[in-house]
Amino acid sequence: MSLLEVSDLRVHHRGEPIVDGVDFELGAGEALGLAGESGCGKTTTALALMKLLPPTLKQSGRLTLRPPEAEEPINIEKRTEAGMGLVRWRHISLVFQGAMNSLDPVQRVDTQIAEAIRLHEARPKAKEVRERISELLKTVGLTPGLGRRYPHQLSGGQRQRMMIALALACRPSLVIADEPTTALDVVMQAQVLQLLENLREQLGLALILISHDLGVLAETCDRIAIMYAGRIVEIGSVDSVFGAPQHPYTKRLLESLPVIGGERGLATPIPGGPPDPGEMPEGCRFRPRCPYAAERCLEDPRLREVAPGHASACHFAPWSEWPAPAAPAAAEGKG
Amino acid sequence: MSDSLMEVRDLAVQFKVKRGVTRAVDGVSLEWRPGEIFGVVGESGCGKSTLARALLGLVEPAAGEVALRGNRVEGKAEVAELRRRVQMIFQDPYQTLNPRQRVRSIVAEPLLVQKVDRSEHDGRVRRALEDVGLDPERFGSRYPHQLSGGQRQRVAIAAALVLEPEGLVCDEPVSMLDASVRAQILTVLGGLQERRGLSLLFITHDLSLAWSLCDRLAVMYLGRVVEQGSAVDVIEHPRHPYTQALVDAIPVPSAGGGGPRELLGGELPDATDVPSGCRFHPRCPRRFEPCDRIDPPLIAIGGRGQAAACLLHDPELAGRAVEAADG
Repeated sequence: MSLLEVSDLRVHHRGEPIVDGVDFELGAGEALGLAGESGCGKTTTALALMKLLPPTLKQSGRLTLRPPEAEEPINIEKRTEAGMGLVRWRHISLVFQGAMNSLDPVQRVDTQIAEAIRLHEARPKAKEVRERISELLKTVGLTPGLGRRYPHQLSGGQRQRMMIALALACRPSLVIADEPTTALDVVMQAQVLQLLENLREQLGLALILISHDLGVLAETCDRIAIMYAGRIVEIGSVDSVFGAPQHPYTKRLLESLPVIGGERGLATPIPGGPPDPGEMPEGCRFRPRCPYAAERCLEDPRLREVAPGHASACHFAPWSEWPAPAAPAAAEGKG
Repeated sequence: MSDSLMEVRDLAVQFKVKRGVTRAVDGVSLEWRPGEIFGVVGESGCGKSTLARALLGLVEPAAGEVALRGNRVEGKAEVAELRRRVQMIFQDPYQTLNPRQRVRSIVAEPLLVQKVDRSEHDGRVRRALEDVGLDPERFGSRYPHQLSGGQRQRVAIAAALVLEPEGLVCDEPVSMLDASVRAQILTVLGGLQERRGLSLLFITHDLSLAWSLCDRLAVMYLGRVVEQGSAVDVIEHPRHPYTQALVDAIPVPSAGGGGPRELLGGELPDATDVPSGCRFHPRCPRRFEPCDRIDPPLIAIGGRGQAAACLLHDPELAGRAVEAADG
């Protein structure tokens, strides 16, 4: 039984699809990476999992969570706002990109963590709460004394660790981290990623890690899903997706990243830019930018398994080799 | 000296803050050669952006000198000349363009400032837009909000090119852009260097990018250059423990990731309180006895211009490091 099951998740903004039929499963203790360029719907997907979307966005689709300590599966899509209050932080928590913007600037950080604990547990003893907070801070590699500080008195890396401590306060089984290291320098980023990995091992946490940085996902995740224009176009284990990508978009994305020790010089850019939600191309959404596009691509491709545990939404998958691309369809578009 | 486009020597920039003086740039010497892509890499707070601003006379140096084509830049006339011949683009294409101006007038603005004859404006704006791959007919009359992030950055580059500069200083020009757009902007910049012989000074925290794009680079730590050399030598064979740590921390986008590695602990210290001796010694995994006393100069390694400011490369002291490691 998987911990989380997402089935046909859709999010609309005034009738335009932002997320358009996303399906995936996540096992207990598993780390799934969600990759894609800005606007592809990865953050919207994350917010929909916690029902945190602004009222102008409408979501539909089934979201089933099976935390080990709950007797019945939780049907997130049926929960009211009050009902979600019992799920958020307790079973699923979220770490945002800008920790400075999600911590309250006028409260000491340990007060904020204590508040999260008190919201979810009936009358916890003050002494126990204090002990738990200092334990939490140690878990994320901070000295407990830092809890008495205000957010502005912490460095960027310390604030991000504090956010992670807050996310862990009620012992959730799933943490969603949205670009948790994007604002950090490479050394600090490596420290935070290492911490997430250790926490997974120690606490058996499942993790959904959202990042546009494929390197970050390769280092941290078991599986990876590549999103494009509101859909998952490829999903599989990190080794198989990075080792033998099965969608032209993934392939081009990987080629655009310099890998030290590999071939030096500039990558050929993907022409154009992703489509606007109001103007989705017919058929495959990557078609106008795809060097391999053919007539068949006017048909909408389905995400289907092309190798064990590895699915692609390309009509021509599985790709055993990649022919030299023909001239791309779109010459000048957005970008 | 005369074969450099720009050169700085013993440059220092300081800012007064409540707790004292921040030594943002603290004794930097380097040479940016014509036609090359020179990279300056380091973490935020290392002084790389301040260095760029000092190069263009946007901040007053506390000490040291800046030269353009061998001539020292001092006084208003030289600074004005410098700002015509060397241009700058910034990280955030959302904040650098005036939202109430059309693309055509944004690109023409530098011509007005430098009092270029009106009759030349149209032709030069058109050429600059074409150089960055934007059709002047389609984009000339648009406003910034009608452009994507990548298109905005191209407009910023066009505005920098319109004066036909010899050098372009790029401060994190692609760090806010997605992978596919990033490749487009880099192709534009690389093309300008190739076709026009434009010299680029590329400031970035992204080591893989610096490795793939730059000819030579300098690694900065706490206001100082700690290593420099050809991009390939420095990144593939780092000689300073700090460069090594930066390279080790890069996440690798490939099957299996980068594997286990040793991580640097701690954080970049405050530039108001620079450690004694080698400024990296409190975090250095390879420090030995004299590192907290002796401030190492750049020591040349090999014959190809690589140099590292680390006592491990001092022929007299290196022996002690080996003893320390053995003991």
